[in-house]
Amino acid sequence: MKLALALLCLALALVSLAIGPVDLVAIHARDPDLARSLLLELRLPRAGLALAIGAGLGGAGAATQALLRNPLASPDVLGPSTGAALGAVLAGYFLGAGVIGMAAGGIIGALAALLLLLALAGAGAGSTRLVLAGVAVATLLGVAINLALGLAPSPFALYDLMTWLMGSLADRTLPQLLLAAPLILAGLALLVRAAPALDALALGEEVAQSLGIATASLNRRIIIAVALATGAGVAVAGSIGFIGLVVPHIVRPRVGHRPGAAILPAALAGAALLTAADIAVRLLPLDLKLGVLTALLGAPFFLWLILKGR
Amino acid sequence: MVGFAQAARWMLACASMTAGDVAVAANPARIVSLNLCTDEYLLLTAQRRQISSISRLGADPQETPLAGRARGLATNSGRLGDVIGQSPDLVLTMGEAPQDAALARRLGVRLVALPYPQSPADVAAQVRQVAALVGHVAAGDAFAAEVAALQHGVPAAPTDALMVGGGGLAPAMDGLAAAWLRLAGFRQRQSGPVAMEALLADPPPVLLVGRYRPGQVSQPQAWAQHPALARLPSRRITVDGRAFLCGGAAMPAEIRRLQQQFPAEIRRLQQKFPAEISRLQAAR
Repeated sequence: MKLALALLCLALALVSLAIGPVDLVAIHARDPDLARSLLLELRLPRAGLALAIGAGLGGAGAATQALLRNPLASPDVLGPSTGAALGAVLAGYFLGAGVIGMAAGGIIGALAALLLLLALAGAGAGSTRLVLAGVAVATLLGVAINLALGLAPSPFALYDLMTWLMGSLADRTLPQLLLAAPLILAGLALLVRAAPALDALALGEEVAQSLGIATASLNRRIIIAVALATGAGVAVAGSIGFIGLVVPHIVRPRVGHRPGAAILPAALAGAALLTAADIAVRLLPLDLKLGVLTALLGAPFFLWLILKGR
Repeated sequence: MVGFAQAARWMLACASMTAGDVAVAANPARIVSLNLCTDEYLLLTAQRRQISSISRLGADPQETPLAGRARGLATNSGRLGDVIGQSPDLVLTMGEAPQDAALARRLGVRLVALPYPQSPADVAAQVRQVAALVGHVAAGDAFAAEVAALQHGVPAAPTDALMVGGGGLAPAMDGLAAAWLRLAGFRQRQSGPVAMEALLADPPPVLLVGRYRPGQVSQPQAWAQHPALARLPSRRITVDGRAFLCGGAAMPAEIRRLQQQFPAEIRRLQQKFPAEISRLQAAR
């Protein structure tokens, strides 16, 4: 399945590179330099970011669901996405930070959200308590974003932020790709390395400990990895919902319901899904934001998944 | 959000301009403005001692080129309820806000809500209206003359140009900003979202980029700094984004600056893109 998903990602990435408002072949005939610049500086960052951010969200979703042993867990439900948005807003509006600063703010925000979640839920908290605490953290951080907006110096901050929070990959830059992709991949690598431990955790915390897994250090590693995998992506593309929640549910039945083994396929499926969604927003005649489309598709699909399992 | 609160004010259909009001002999002495654009009108026409307060934005040098005139003036939040305590004898604002109009009626406050201007002539008329309200007709006439004088500096043929705001959104081709730009010799060639690829594939002779809160980074504002735009052959001209926020009282100075700074430039462009220019002239 991993190979098939990887091939799907590759195919979708090629489609993503091929479509756009102008005919690249015609431009190449007229001005090869311009065509190369359009491809490398506009289409490549877009396709690459879709793959990387989708993979980060899918992998982080699978890992949080595995760690918390709860199918509702995902970066957007538990707070790291909201934390990343808050971090990027604070970095951008109040510190005047550039691309790097906003990405750093995103990662720090995601990390802070997850640490707050663990502190609130307490050590050894049951998964229900963790999810409840996560919802509280996400709500709190959402309110903090509103507060930050109220204090923002520019009267257009609200409009800017609303546009940004709807999520988009339009006109992103190569430096943004080169910054975000390695951070996301590093996070994903950490998650994949933790996969066997997460599989053991599915048998229960005590069983996992008896198998020689240090659950406290596992928690820490997963949290840092999830912050890396989601934070930079949110800072670059805004908040893109539902991929982290839905994708693990699609792939898990195909890996024997092993939560750890689902991480890599979930990352690949997330990459494919976000790339497909980003292709769709460009082909659709209306001006739909990427985050809006993923939620529009993700919510009914998730409902169908729930109803099917009833 | 002051900006949003202001953007939703109700136009009180000139109820305050009835004959009874005009007959009032004394000029208003405690004027309050709730909106950046009426702040600018007021700063241009009223005497300082007549002004009780202007909106927070009107005194912010990041928001208006006229903020220098507002030094020392009290500021308000832009909400009518917050300035009632100053017992104003004239409250100015822009846009529609039915609740404010009702509140003003109930409290007997004289509220003048100007509609959004659609053209430089509208702006001139509004400045004259405010000047008359505050009792300084001459200031309004001077501004209107200034706007009229801009006509003399308009280059013979307009240059195809594209003004882009935050996030790559271009203002309307028949809107207020485009009308001011025509006085500087630029013809806005497109409106709505601008695809960067399309812009690079078919560059306009001139790209006008508004400079607004330069120290502050946000994704929409970063649009104009996209590295791919470095290879855009268009002449990039920076305009004062603050003046264009209202497209109001601060515009004549900005248009004059553009007229003086770029006539030679525009002539050169017209030589460089003769086909474009003649096509445009034919279209007119």
